[in-house]
Amino acid sequence: MKGLFKSKPRTPTDIVRQTRDLLIYADRPSSDPRDAKREEKMEELSRNIRELKSILYGNSESEPISEACAQLTQEFFRENTLRLLIICLPKLNLETRKDATQVVANLQRQQVQSRLIASEYLEKNTDLLDILIGGYENTDMALHYGAMLRECIRHQSVARYVLESEHMKKFFDYIQLPNFDVAADAAATFKELLTRHKSTVAEFLSKNYEWFFAEYNSKLLESANYITRRQAIKLLGDILLDRSNSVVMTRYVSSRDNLRILMNLLRESSKSIQTEAFHVFKLFAANQNKPPDIVTILVANRSKLLRLFADFKTDKEDEQFEADKAQVVKEIAALEPRERT
Amino acid sequence: MAQELHYPLDSSSYKILDEIGVGVSAVVYKAICIPMNSTVVAIKSIDLDQSRADFDNIRWETKTMSLLSHPNILKAHCSFTIGRRLWVVMPFMSAGSLQSIISSSFPDGLSEPCIAVVLKAILHALSYLHNQGHLHRDIKAGNILVDSNGHVKLADFGVSASIYESSTRGGWASSSCSSRLLLTDVAGTPYWMAPEVIHSHTGYSYKADIWSFGITALELAHGRPPLSHLPLSKSLIMRITKRFLFSDYENHEKNQNKKFSKAFKDMVAACLDQDPSKRPSAEKLLKHPFFKNCRGSDFLVKNILHGLPSVEERFKESKALHGITTVTNNGEEEEEEEEEGTEGETGSEIVKIRRISGWNFNEEGFELRPVFPTESKDDSIAKQVCVGSETISHDRKTELGESGDSGESSGRSSPGRVAEEMKLNHEHGETRKGDKGIDKETMVGGLMVLKRSLDEQRQKVVNLIGMLGGKVSREEQLLQVIERLGMELESEKQKNFDLELELESNKHLFSGAYNDCETE
Repeated sequence: MKGLFKSKPRTPTDIVRQTRDLLIYADRPSSDPRDAKREEKMEELSRNIRELKSILYGNSESEPISEACAQLTQEFFRENTLRLLIICLPKLNLETRKDATQVVANLQRQQVQSRLIASEYLEKNTDLLDILIGGYENTDMALHYGAMLRECIRHQSVARYVLESEHMKKFFDYIQLPNFDVAADAAATFKELLTRHKSTVAEFLSKNYEWFFAEYNSKLLESANYITRRQAIKLLGDILLDRSNSVVMTRYVSSRDNLRILMNLLRESSKSIQTEAFHVFKLFAANQNKPPDIVTILVANRSKLLRLFADFKTDKEDEQFEADKAQVVKEIAALEPRERT
Repeated sequence: MAQELHYPLDSSSYKILDEIGVGVSAVVYKAICIPMNSTVVAIKSIDLDQSRADFDNIRWETKTMSLLSHPNILKAHCSFTIGRRLWVVMPFMSAGSLQSIISSSFPDGLSEPCIAVVLKAILHALSYLHNQGHLHRDIKAGNILVDSNGHVKLADFGVSASIYESSTRGGWASSSCSSRLLLTDVAGTPYWMAPEVIHSHTGYSYKADIWSFGITALELAHGRPPLSHLPLSKSLIMRITKRFLFSDYENHEKNQNKKFSKAFKDMVAACLDQDPSKRPSAEKLLKHPFFKNCRGSDFLVKNILHGLPSVEERFKESKALHGITTVTNNGEEEEEEEEEGTEGETGSEIVKIRRISGWNFNEEGFELRPVFPTESKDDSIAKQVCVGSETISHDRKTELGESGDSGESSGRSSPGRVAEEMKLNHEHGETRKGDKGIDKETMVGGLMVLKRSLDEQRQKVVNLIGMLGGKVSREEQLLQVIERLGMELESEKQKNFDLELELESNKHLFSGAYNDCETE
C-alpha cells in the first residue's frame, strides 16, 4: 500500500485519517507485545504524528501554512481522533508522546472559519478532560496529560467545566505529590484555572467559597510542605488582589480564622513566604470595615506586629512595598479597641 | 513501553558520600541510592528559598530534564523536595565537566582526536534537542559532563527553551517578527553567546546553539573561550561589531605552539559565521570531515580520564584554592557560576548578567584577533578595548602586591593571602613580557577595572578568612555591604555606558558598516 501511493503527496486530511486508523489499531489490545507487524504499525503511527506536528508548527525549511493547518484541524475534530490519541497516549513511546502533546496543544489555538472548533469539541466531550486530569495519578503520563490539559483550559468553557467538576478537590492533593515535576505541573494547572478567566473564576469562588477556602487554608496554607505553603500564599495574593475577585476578597479578610493563618505565615522564617504573606495581610489591615474580632486581634498583637514590620525588608529596593508597609503600620497604630457594636 | 525504573522520592533512600560542587543556592553531592543496589548518583540540592519567585524556571529545568531521552543528554532520575530544598537526582558523571577537567589537567586544551569525540557527542545531543524544538542556549565546556566510561553528556537545562511553548514561561517578549520559530530573550553565558542572541531584537533560533558550539570547540582546543580575557560587556560588543576568524588563532605570535588541522578550522569557522543562516545545522555538522574516523569513548578514557583526579579531589582542591568559590562539577548550577563570575571579572556583570564563567579572565594570549573594518567609529572603540585589556592584566598583577598592604582586610591573614596569590598565579599562567604603548584613556579605563577587581579580591580574602575560622566583625560586614552596593552602582553605570556603545554600533550596522565587516 505504501509503495503504491508514494508518488502522490498526502494531504493533511489524508494524514489525519491514516493517523486515526493507526490509532484504532493501537487501541486494540494485543496478545503478543513482540508482534512485529504491530511494531511496524506503531512506528508508522509515530511518523504520522510527527508529520502532523510539522504541518502545524512548520519545520526548518518552511513556515506553517494556514490552509493546511485548517484542513488538518477540521479533519481532526470531525471524528474522534482527539479521543483516540488521548486514550492511546500511554501506548506510544516517549518521543511520540511529546509530539502528540504538541499537536494537541497547537490544535487548541487553530481557528477554522474563525471558530475555535477544539473548544466546541471539548465541550461535547468533557470526559476527555476527566482522563487528562486523572493523568496526575500516573507519574509516566502526568507531564504529557498535564501539558495538554493546560492548553485545553485556555478555553473558558473548558476551564469552567473543570472548576465546577469534582476534580477541583483533587488538585489540593495533586499539588502535594512527592514527585516534584508532577506536583509542580499540577500547581501550574491549578494556578491557571484560578487566574486565567476572570469572570469564571469570580463566579466559581463566590459559589464555592466555603469549601474552597476551608481546603485552601487547611491543606495548602497550613501544609507541612514548604513549597506548598509558598506557592499557595503567592497564589492567594494573586487571587485576592485581582479586582474581579473583590467580593471574595472582602469576605476573606473579614474572617478571624483567615487572619490567624496569615499572621502565622508572617512569622515564618522563610523570607519569600513572609513577603507574600504580607501582601495578603495588608488587605486585612487596609479593610475600612474591619469586623470587631479582627480589630481585637490586631490590637492585641499590635506591638508584636509593629516590631515585626520595623525589621521587615525585601531583598531588593521596593518602593511599593515600603509604601504598603507604612500604610499598614499606620492603620495598625491608629486602631482603637472597640468594646461593643 | 517498558515501565521506567522509578527512583525513590524520599531522602532516606539516599546516602550522601561527598560534596562535589557548591554554589550560592545549591550544593551537588555524590551519593548512593540504597534501594537501587546502591547505585551512585549525583544529587543537586537547591535551596528554593533563595530562588525568589522563580519557580517556573526550576520547574522548567526539571521537567525538561525528565522528558528528554538521549544517550548524550544528562537526564534527571527524579526530583523531590525536602523542606526548603529541591533534590534533583541524576546519574553520577564521575569525571565531571570538561571545564573542570581542562582546568585541572589540560590547561592548554585537549588534543584534536579527543575534541572530536566530545564534539561529536554534543552534536548528537544538539541534533536531538533541535529536532524536538528545544534550544539549549548554554553550550559550553562547563556544561559537558563525562562519566567513567568516557561517555559524554550535555547537561544543564537551566536556560533552555522550547520554541513550541513560548507562552508558558514568563519573561519572554513576544516576538514581533513574523516567524514564530524565533526567540527574543537574552539567555546563556556571554562569552559563548551568538551575536544574534546578544542582539536579540531580531530574534534567534537553533543556529545560536551552533555558534556556542563553535566557541566551545575553541574552548576545548585552547583551554578557555576566546575573548575571555576581555571584560564581559566589551567582549559582547566586539562580538556584535566585529567578525573574528579562526585562522587568526595561528597567525598570532604567541600561539604557534599549537597547530590545528584544516578540517577542524574549517568546521569551527562554519559555526562562527556571523550570519546564522550560513551556519550548518547539527545534523549537517555531523557529516563534516572533521568527524570522519572519530574515535570512541574508550579513547577518552585512555587519553583524558586516565590519571585524572576524581571530581571529589578536584572539588576539594579548588575549594582550598578559591575559598568558597568553586569550580562546578556534576550538574552545573547557575548560581555557582554566578559566583565564579565575580571572581575574575571586572565587576560589570555581577548584578545583572547571569551565568558567567570567570576563570582565566586575564590569561595570556589573544587567540582570536578581531578583524577590524577599515573605517567607522566603533572600530576605535574596539581597538581600545583590546589594548586596554592587555594592560589591565599586566597592571593588575604588579599592583596586587600593594593591595595586600593597603587593603585593611586582605593583609590580615597570611594563609588567606597566600592562597589568594596562588590563585592569582594560577589565573595568570605565565607572565606577560613587554608592554605596548598605551594611551591615557585606555590607562584610566584599565585602572578602573583594576580597582574593581581589587575590591573583589579583597572580598574573597575576607571570605577565606571566614572559612578558615577567622572572625569578620559586624563593622566589616557592613563595609562589605556598602562596597557591594557601590560596585553594583558602578556596574549599572558601566552597563549604561555599554548600552550606549551598543546603540552606537547598531547605528553603524544599519548604515552599512556591516558590509565592510563582511568583506574582510
